[in-house]
Amino acid sequence: MLGNGAVLISYSLPSNPFVAFRGSIPAGVAAEGDAHGVAEFASRLLLSGTRRHEAAKLADRLEGIGATLEFHNGEEVLGFNGRCTRDSLRETVRILVECLSEPTFPQREIDRVRGELLNDLRIEADDTHSRAAHELARFVFPNDHPYGRDPKGGADRVRRIRRRDMVDFHESHVGPEGLILAVTGDVDRDLVEKGIAEPLSRLDADAEGIPAIPPPPPHKPRRATIPMPHKSQADIAIGGPAVSRRHADYYALNLANLLFGRIGLYGRLGRNLRDEQGLAYYAFTGLDARTAGGMWSLSAGVNPANLEKATRSIRAELDRLQTDPFHADEIRDGKDNQIGSLIVSLERNAEVASELHQMEYYGLGMNFLERYADIVRELEEDRVRQVSMKYFTADGSSMVVAGPVGRTRFSL
Amino acid sequence: MSTHVETLENGLKVVLRPIPDTKALSTWVVYRIGSRNEVPGMTGSTHWVEHMLFKGGGKLGKGDIDKLISRLGGKMNAFTDTDYTMYFETIPASAMDTALMIESERMRNAAFDPKEVEAERTVVISEREGAENQPEFLVDEELWGLAFHVHPYHWTPIGYKQDLASLDREPLYRHYLRYYAPNNASLILVGGFDPAVAMQHVREAFSPLKPEAPPEPLRLSEPEQRGERRSDLVRPGPADLLSIGWHIPSAAHDDTPALILLSTVLGGWRGLISFASGDWRPRSNRLYRALVESKLATDVGVRQEMKLDPSLLIVSATLARGVPLDRVEHVIDREVDKLRGTPPNRTEVERAKQQVRSWARYEQDGVTFQGMLISAGEGLSSWDFGDKLLAKVEKVRAERIRDVARTYLVDEHRSVVRFHAQEGTN
Repeated sequence: MLGNGAVLISYSLPSNPFVAFRGSIPAGVAAEGDAHGVAEFASRLLLSGTRRHEAAKLADRLEGIGATLEFHNGEEVLGFNGRCTRDSLRETVRILVECLSEPTFPQREIDRVRGELLNDLRIEADDTHSRAAHELARFVFPNDHPYGRDPKGGADRVRRIRRRDMVDFHESHVGPEGLILAVTGDVDRDLVEKGIAEPLSRLDADAEGIPAIPPPPPHKPRRATIPMPHKSQADIAIGGPAVSRRHADYYALNLANLLFGRIGLYGRLGRNLRDEQGLAYYAFTGLDARTAGGMWSLSAGVNPANLEKATRSIRAELDRLQTDPFHADEIRDGKDNQIGSLIVSLERNAEVASELHQMEYYGLGMNFLERYADIVRELEEDRVRQVSMKYFTADGSSMVVAGPVGRTRFSL
Repeated sequence: MSTHVETLENGLKVVLRPIPDTKALSTWVVYRIGSRNEVPGMTGSTHWVEHMLFKGGGKLGKGDIDKLISRLGGKMNAFTDTDYTMYFETIPASAMDTALMIESERMRNAAFDPKEVEAERTVVISEREGAENQPEFLVDEELWGLAFHVHPYHWTPIGYKQDLASLDREPLYRHYLRYYAPNNASLILVGGFDPAVAMQHVREAFSPLKPEAPPEPLRLSEPEQRGERRSDLVRPGPADLLSIGWHIPSAAHDDTPALILLSTVLGGWRGLISFASGDWRPRSNRLYRALVESKLATDVGVRQEMKLDPSLLIVSATLARGVPLDRVEHVIDREVDKLRGTPPNRTEVERAKQQVRSWARYEQDGVTFQGMLISAGEGLSSWDFGDKLLAKVEKVRAERIRDVARTYLVDEHRSVVRFHAQEGTN
């Protein structure tokens, strides 16, 4: 930990001839309170000019050394990531610190980004998958919870946000407190200290502190159809509340999710919908576990003529979890997959940086990777079955269908 | 990085790149078969064959590939391009034989069970319908159709829906038998292994496979375009789109390195294969400055399609609300005209070269990306295609960039697709 509170983690992988980094500051949607859309808007302006350099000059500096740097707004954090070479690391981190500490939010760039945000909203509104997924998140995390609302805040908010809103947000929430930076690749101790720690230490600690994220309100299962008659394919999104990353059920549920809709060509779900019936090119599940709660979700893209058949089959697979729960050999295969994937999922610089960041962010401990195989091995089979029965239920889930579906209402 | 190359007696070229301090292994097989080898009426067949090769045959029952790789915690996939088809598994290096067995069976023994072929028909149609949901796909399909009247680049690898609806098992299976042979493929291994030991295992797995008569070279070539071609799509959508494609030579042509720098000056560089780039958005380039910074477009990109045969350099823009398509097209014309008139300055050229240099490193991130890059190189010419290209890029002078702009960014040789988004669809 640096003197200003920022946490820096590095891992040397000298065979990869460059450096990858991933970082975050708790300045995402959860920090914006009622000022919806401000976090997203502000995050898009961090490369748009600083007290020392205009946007074009920043781009010239970064790309002149061949580096990449991007900022992303998330529900919990302002994220950033990039790549550079060993030789350009110091300069890249200087630019990162400059963007975080001295953004000017120039009006001309605000106008440009406003137009981009409005176009992005129109593009998302025309995308069947986005429409279904956003509506599902709104159902599962109701009452404008940060996990359920559109990070952009909607078109009306985008039109109303002013420079002052972003300056205030930035001053209140973007600083070294809660900052995590994970760096991997062609680095050594000396380079980390001089090229990263030194410039990062210059970030001033005068933000307001880390905002608490409220627990999600109770979920009442809902159904919705979003007619988009000009599309060829419909998207189905089904899901419900799950658990936070530190919840006692997390590892069992993560394994259950793998078996239900991820392993191989999408687990039990994919075997039924894609492999046996040919109903969908994709049909998979996801588990999104965060600090204050989580969501499981199921996505499938199907021809509108097959919608009823597909939803019936999904229902059958959900019901099967109650009547024909995961067999011992399925669970064994899933455990083997999770343990083996440690090697495969950490083969890239960027993936290692991301994993290190997650370990610190969720307080998993720096020995997490050494412990992971034992955590998985020790999971009891019945526990895996129980959590799948508890969380993956048709009656406890919301469902959204978006696409060329008329006003037909689909049941699950 | 040391790379060992050997060709087996049956014609299979083997490329081994050992990386001593990794425990992972990425195994790739690239076949020199893509949608360019298809004929009208059976478009999409190469991609459909790719789907069938996950369904077992020989020593592998249905679902076995999935199970074998999953148990190892591995990842696998396949990609069908216009020029080649690639398959890969990334697994712990200790399980090398599993990957070799899968790829060896896949090469000659796929089952093509009629029931499975039929089940996959709706899956590939569904994949196409998912793509059709995106206006960008419709624009791209229109552009290639417009620019190529004779050459099979006229259609995209996913194929036409009517062909997917009517193709039978037999032509698909013949397509497979014809092109899936050791002498029409390269095997690439990247990861933690000893090359001598790996080569022994490769021989055991692949030497018994018989070669096929080499495929006839493609004799179709696109005649010179005589005059600009234009198409206007009026459809529901969220934003107007503009796509302009100019004919460029094949990837192996001497002008390719200068075209890389031309693309970078115009629209930035995101690597030879787009998979490594993630969501990186280059901003230090002429079209970003002229269109995005000036609020005429919300996004702009340049794609230099490097292919076996003469291909396209494509500029694509997503227009800002209310901006006329004519205006954006005029700005692109103006920027192209500047490049044709004056060589880019030294700073600009050096920045472009630095981007290409850096991306050559970023694309080496891990065994999977390295395997993909080597395989794509093999699909186009040779495993070291990327390295050789980079060396040539270093030598390009600013005047050469202007010269290739004059040669290829010619109005009479371009095709323009304009997507007019209809309102009120949401």
